Amino acid sequence: MERKSKHNQSLQGEAARILVEFLEVAITSIVFLKGIYPPGAFERRRYMNLVVHKARHPQLSYYICSAVSGLLPYIEKGLVERVAVIFFERANVSVEKFVFKLALNQSCDSKVENTDLEFALRSFLTKLAASESLTKAIPRDCRWEITAYFRDLPEAGSNKDSALIWIPTDTKPWLQPPLITPIKSMSSEPLSVQLYLEHPSSLEPMNQASDS
Amino acid sequence: MSFDSLSRSDNTTHSSKRSRCNSTSSNPWNNGQSSSHGSQKGKQKKARQKTLGVAWGANSRSSFQRSPFSDFGSYMDVKNRKLHNQFAAEAAGSSHGGSHTLKPIFHGVSIFVDGFTVPSSQDLRGYMLKYGGRFENYFSRRHVTHIICSNLPDSKVKNLRSFSGGLPVVKPQWIIDSIAANKLLSWVPYELNQVCDNQPKLSLFFALKNASATENASSYPVCIVDDVAETSLVCGKDEKYIEVAETIEQRSMSNERFEDDGRDGKMNNASVHCYVAPIESCRAEPTFMEAEQGTLFQEEVQDSPDEPCTSGSNHLLTKSNTGEVPRSLFRRKAPKGHSTLGDPNFVENYFRFSRLHFIGTWRQRYQKRYPNTPVEFKSTSAKNTASDDPHKTCIIHIDMDCFFVAVVIRDLPKLQDKPVAISHSDNPKGTAEISSANYPAREYGVEAGMFVKDAKALCPRLTILQYNFKAYEEVADQFYDILHKHCKKVQAVSCDEAFLDVTDSIEYDPQNFAKEIRKEIYETTRCTASVGIAGNMLMARLATRKAKPNGQCYISYEMVNNYLHDLPIKSLPGIGYVLEDKLKQCNISTCGQLQMIPKESLQKEFGFKTGEMLWNFSRGIDDRVVGSIRESKSIGAEVNWGVRFKDLKDSKQFLSNLCKEVSMRLQGNGVRGRKFTLKIKKRRKDAEEPAKYMGCGDCENLSHTMTVPAATNDVDVLHRIIMQIFGSFHIDAKEIRGVGLQVSKLENADASKQDGRNILKAWLSSASINWRASDINSHYSEKTHREGQAFDGNPNQLSADSAANLINMEMDPSMDEAYSNRSLDPPPLCHLDMEVIESLPPEILSELNEAYGGKLVTLMSESKGKSEEIGNDEIGNKRSAGGSLFSDAGPSNKVDTCNQMGQSHLQVEGHVRVAQGSSNPGSSRPSNGSTDFMPSSLSQVDPSVLQQLPKELIDGIIQMLPAHREHDISVADPFLCGNMPEDQLVTRSAENSESPNLLWVGNPPKWIAKFRASKSLILNVIADLYMRSGSSRSLSAVLQCCLSKVSADMDAESDGLENSIHCFSEMLKQYIKQKIESDIEEIYVCSRILKRLSVKSEIFQQVYNVIIPYLQAAVNENYGGNLCVH
Repeated sequence: MERKSKHNQSLQGEAARILVEFLEVAITSIVFLKGIYPPGAFERRRYMNLVVHKARHPQLSYYICSAVSGLLPYIEKGLVERVAVIFFERANVSVEKFVFKLALNQSCDSKVENTDLEFALRSFLTKLAASESLTKAIPRDCRWEITAYFRDLPEAGSNKDSALIWIPTDTKPWLQPPLITPIKSMSSEPLSVQLYLEHPSSLEPMNQASDS
Repeated sequence: MSFDSLSRSDNTTHSSKRSRCNSTSSNPWNNGQSSSHGSQKGKQKKARQKTLGVAWGANSRSSFQRSPFSDFGSYMDVKNRKLHNQFAAEAAGSSHGGSHTLKPIFHGVSIFVDGFTVPSSQDLRGYMLKYGGRFENYFSRRHVTHIICSNLPDSKVKNLRSFSGGLPVVKPQWIIDSIAANKLLSWVPYELNQVCDNQPKLSLFFALKNASATENASSYPVCIVDDVAETSLVCGKDEKYIEVAETIEQRSMSNERFEDDGRDGKMNNASVHCYVAPIESCRAEPTFMEAEQGTLFQEEVQDSPDEPCTSGSNHLLTKSNTGEVPRSLFRRKAPKGHSTLGDPNFVENYFRFSRLHFIGTWRQRYQKRYPNTPVEFKSTSAKNTASDDPHKTCIIHIDMDCFFVAVVIRDLPKLQDKPVAISHSDNPKGTAEISSANYPAREYGVEAGMFVKDAKALCPRLTILQYNFKAYEEVADQFYDILHKHCKKVQAVSCDEAFLDVTDSIEYDPQNFAKEIRKEIYETTRCTASVGIAGNMLMARLATRKAKPNGQCYISYEMVNNYLHDLPIKSLPGIGYVLEDKLKQCNISTCGQLQMIPKESLQKEFGFKTGEMLWNFSRGIDDRVVGSIRESKSIGAEVNWGVRFKDLKDSKQFLSNLCKEVSMRLQGNGVRGRKFTLKIKKRRKDAEEPAKYMGCGDCENLSHTMTVPAATNDVDVLHRIIMQIFGSFHIDAKEIRGVGLQVSKLENADASKQDGRNILKAWLSSASINWRASDINSHYSEKTHREGQAFDGNPNQLSADSAANLINMEMDPSMDEAYSNRSLDPPPLCHLDMEVIESLPPEILSELNEAYGGKLVTLMSESKGKSEEIGNDEIGNKRSAGGSLFSDAGPSNKVDTCNQMGQSHLQVEGHVRVAQGSSNPGSSRPSNGSTDFMPSSLSQVDPSVLQQLPKELIDGIIQMLPAHREHDISVADPFLCGNMPEDQLVTRSAENSESPNLLWVGNPPKWIAKFRASKSLILNVIADLYMRSGSSRSLSAVLQCCLSKVSADMDAESDGLENSIHCFSEMLKQYIKQKIESDIEEIYVCSRILKRLSVKSEIFQQVYNVIIPYLQAAVNENYGGNLCVH
């Protein structure tokens, strides 16, 4: 029993590590996709045999990297529910959220090949690269941040880390439940990830490509 | 798994949609490179498109995940291979099984069909199969030999080389005709009109003659680069080079050999021959242009040092002592003057002895002399008279008779009736070219553009004289003095040719008027002029041709048709060899015949503009107005001949001379420029010493551009900018074969004088002040700079730069002010956070650097050096200063870059932001300066918790939410109310699913049996499809298939409709319930397809209506939002 749980842990650890790595790439891709920074601020790299973009600026890449790797312990424990990349307008109103909804099954012992997991995650990046039409044009001087939503509070004292810091989320609320546009979902054991877009509900008609 | 660096090359980096336009790739100068570039790019684009297609498919997951290909490159490889094999198999089949063997006329031909063609690409493929050719489905530079297409979009025409990779673009008729002739015909006549249609246009013909000439003789010094000429002639340029290189038989002499000559004491002989200045082959008459293209200027080189000088050249020297070049100069400079090697004045001399240059610069002289003319034209625009009342307009075209000869021989009465030609050199063996010949010489068949040796063969008594630029200038000035004296509306075409609009200015007969002018010209200049008089510029010009030499011709309106009827089409401007050939194929050789063809079919055959031009010109219609001279859009100088550098020092010296030259031209034209382009011809790796002596040979064309905020024509500033650009080339000086400097974005010097110059001067002065102080640092900083940034620049270059560019951190406020006055508003240099700047990628850095006019790099290297010295304290200070200043940075794009960076940097502090998604309404929240305890939005409220509260409390909470206080409360209410029933629905259905009726349990799931049992055809179909769908088990795939199967008549059953709908929606609900948490994408896709199905069928319509509220509720429960179902 003891051994089995350990095995589970290592399995989840592995999955979590892959996930964190993936998140780093995916978030960078989102930032690139949104064109907040000039394209020259990114360089092309290969990840999972796919051309992706990586931030050249050390601070940008550090921010993304540190944000997601800081989440690693909590992802491993299955505490992180969502990781969102939020774009804010000038007045700190969020205009668009890219939400990664994560689920890491704690008590799963079916072994998924890492390559399969990577393959599944890869399709996120492919889809992401093609979903520019779903997103809204961002205003000129916007800012963005990475926000993680926890299922419940990590126990105090377990870590003296930044997770203890409370921070405000939206300074200005969305009137109605947001509109959700799914981009990609993947469910497997032990990890399932879903990526979807959240927009404030139809304050203005969205100019998205409706294929119907 | 981890980031590993892609192999990067310049060609592939800029493929993303968002990428900035790569200036070099679209630059015509870059022809040499673009072939590989183009195909690569094309391929990549295809791969990308493929990605899109696959990724967007509704069943993308199933198809994509199971793909055996690691990436699209390998996918395309396999696909191409498969297509080849298929083709080969079919070809083999057709040749074996064919009843008769066909001649493989297309052997070795491999076509790629682009776009719509008649016959279709499939037919063409069939032909290629039958006749031994190949057919490529995807363009590849390696495999394809011909591109077949009927029409090209404008963008492809403009950037032809990157589209075609230099391959011939041919009409499909070529294949048809080849088959008909049963042999492979030359594709040349079938070349796509749009492609080959780039001979000089009318605008060139009348406008800057000299400019077009420059363009044609593009391997020679470019005096004024004319935009129009450039765009239309670009395509042919490269081929011309090659052609030229190939036709040269002359053995080139090595440099060493040449220097030996000098040492041999044969100086006298050698110098006469070896003195070289670039010349052009002929007058820039449009009729000669074609001839000119194929020819080449070459100064002959003595084969052996012992060979005596020909008498002709001695004669020449004595005769031409009126020239501006003293003989002593010849002797002294000539042996070295051949190349940039060792001749410090190469640039100066190069241009001094260029006739092209003379023509080019003549215009600015002219403008100086008659500065008012353009203004005058504007005020008294002849437009009205020209178009409204054509019968009254009267245009005179006046042209000096063989100007370049006549001016020289007017002082040599002996030569008056002898054949004389002007050229640069009189070596009968040589390939120097005749630039102008007088009429006696023309009788022998001597023509401009001819090699001297050919001319001598035709006419052994031919006397060859040299240019006398001073005399030309003098005569041209006299010529225009006379014209301006008699007429107000003068349009100068060249130094010896002009249009006069005499509609208003004469009361009496234009013929007499013309006579008077001609007489006066002859008396003043002792040279004759010919005049053509007609109602418009086109006819006047044609009349002059008839009038020559020394005559005048009047074509009245009544005579226009008569005159044109038998006029060969070749005489019309804008009709060159190619167009002429094409017209000849249609049996059209005179304007009269051309008139018979309706405008529409001309436009169809030759393109809209060309067709219209042909139609108009064949009728003698020309509605242009005698007007002022166009402003030149760019000014530059280019040297592609004789450029050889030993080392970097040489090249710098040369560049600084070139800068002087260009600066002089800018000042001469009274303009300043903001955009600087440095073009460099670099010897190709495998290229040998060019056949043409001192020519550029086979070269790669490189060009870099820099734009500065303040326009300049100051030689110092120019020099600094050019040095900086040059540094970015990373080029070995020995490899350079040509250098061109072009300045564009021109502004009038007077207008920009105020701000531009002062600032630049301020920079310069501050640079000189600070120079000493930082001198010590500069070496060190350079080093660190290069190491840290991988910035491109060679050491010397950088040191020159940092020396000149230095600017103090404490800039005086006046400069800040000057900056803020301009539209582009970068923050003052001293406000920049060096750390941020240094971390920027080189492209952005150089862009910023441009915005700061080159100061940034220096500042960086300086600050780096400093900070290294002073230590960490300083860095800390700077950083904090930078950070605080970012907040008020200006709105410009470039600044945004760092601004954004800065912001993200500021946000990093907390590392991760953690928020609790399911916070209770009452839970305390950290205050952000405000006193809100409540979550700010309903979306943050857990609906399940909310709904368990009493109604009064719910209302209270909603009112307390900050957002709903601020906004209309009534908006919030429907949200809640709308949600309530849905939520109840959720619970109800949850109960439902608790019941034994679980439709998705089992394998196959229970609903299959239910659906099969149903009377509804649609349900049966769905069940079948699901069972057939195999292992994927995704409903979306099944529904996708339904799209093609379902039609309106399928739900024609009368009874059981309700039941079917219930069954179906129950099944969907359970599916949603099952999937909503893990796979919202699948649900989303299903809903989209359902929506599409709902248009087709009643059942789906109703199911959709039932499902959507349920779906939204489920999404809201799980994701706190509504699914986007637009």
